Amino acid sequence: MTHSDPLTIAGKTFTSRLMLGTGKYHDFTVMRAALEASGTQIVTVAIRRVELKAPGHDGLLDALNLERYQLLPNTAGCRTAEEAVRVAKLARAATGVNWLKLEVIPDPKYLLPDPIGTLKAAEILVGEGFTVLPYIQPDAVLARALERVGCATVMPLASPIGSGRGLRTSELIRTVLDGAAVPVVVDAGLGVPSDAAQALELGADAALVNTAIAEARDPAAMAHAFALGVQAGRLSYLAGRMAERESASPSSPVAGVVRLPDPEIPA
Amino acid sequence: MQVNGQPHPFTPGLTLHALLRELAIAPERVAIAVGDDFYPGGQAPDCELAEEDVVEIVRAIGGG
Repeated sequence: MTHSDPLTIAGKTFTSRLMLGTGKYHDFTVMRAALEASGTQIVTVAIRRVELKAPGHDGLLDALNLERYQLLPNTAGCRTAEEAVRVAKLARAATGVNWLKLEVIPDPKYLLPDPIGTLKAAEILVGEGFTVLPYIQPDAVLARALERVGCATVMPLASPIGSGRGLRTSELIRTVLDGAAVPVVVDAGLGVPSDAAQALELGADAALVNTAIAEARDPAAMAHAFALGVQAGRLSYLAGRMAERESASPSSPVAGVVRLPDPEIPA
Repeated sequence: MQVNGQPHPFTPGLTLHALLRELAIAPERVAIAVGDDFYPGGQAPDCELAEEDVVEIVRAIGGG
């Protein structure tokens, strides 16, 4: 079903609807195993200053098969539109990729995005030729505004980043999904694969997961489980769920049920 | 001048490539901004720097 039901973002098609972050892994070997097991085709990376006192270590881009993955650099850590625009340009220079997960986050406690700064930065970056995937609170009015300025997706949060609290915003995400003209990617806070399944069941086009996989006891196994959760949710959405009822409806026919002999009926 | 948010001693005639050598930074896989000019590390010009320049040198790391 994945091949006949591709995800298309900014004209590029993907068979996987699961995006993965690359943060918080114990090492690159564990990270690569998780990416492999997830079947993901889109991976996020962050941009940071080189340590001037200890340069030369790491090498995330060397650890990733760049032929295989669409890189999605983020602007994590940026507090204002201006910072995000600057980091976006550095990200494009560092990776050679013009896709950008736009994050404008002034709040360190709940890591909630600034809708006004996000819209402002998105408009500038689309104008500069970026493919912009903005991280947002599930706000349908904002989502439509971001579509209008040319964003490639919107990425509403399920619950606070890294919290693992699951899909706490489903009613609001429904309103973002209703009439969305771009793919809706549920991002942040998903804790277990059933959370991702729930998001896709609602009609979300994809999910992005980092901490729930990186902090699992077995990240590769959890990555596989998330892949199955996303697939199950998507299949469920396409299959069309049953209507809910207030009371029970027996699954077995009510006619022809065996009863004890009726003493009123003569033998 | 400023490099990655820190004051950096400026010497007249200092060029961008000389600064990278001084900091022992290999230009591949980094990006560099000098003011509002952005370069992939491997394509950064060997321009002469000025005392008021603000230089950023960044790389991609793990993140979500």
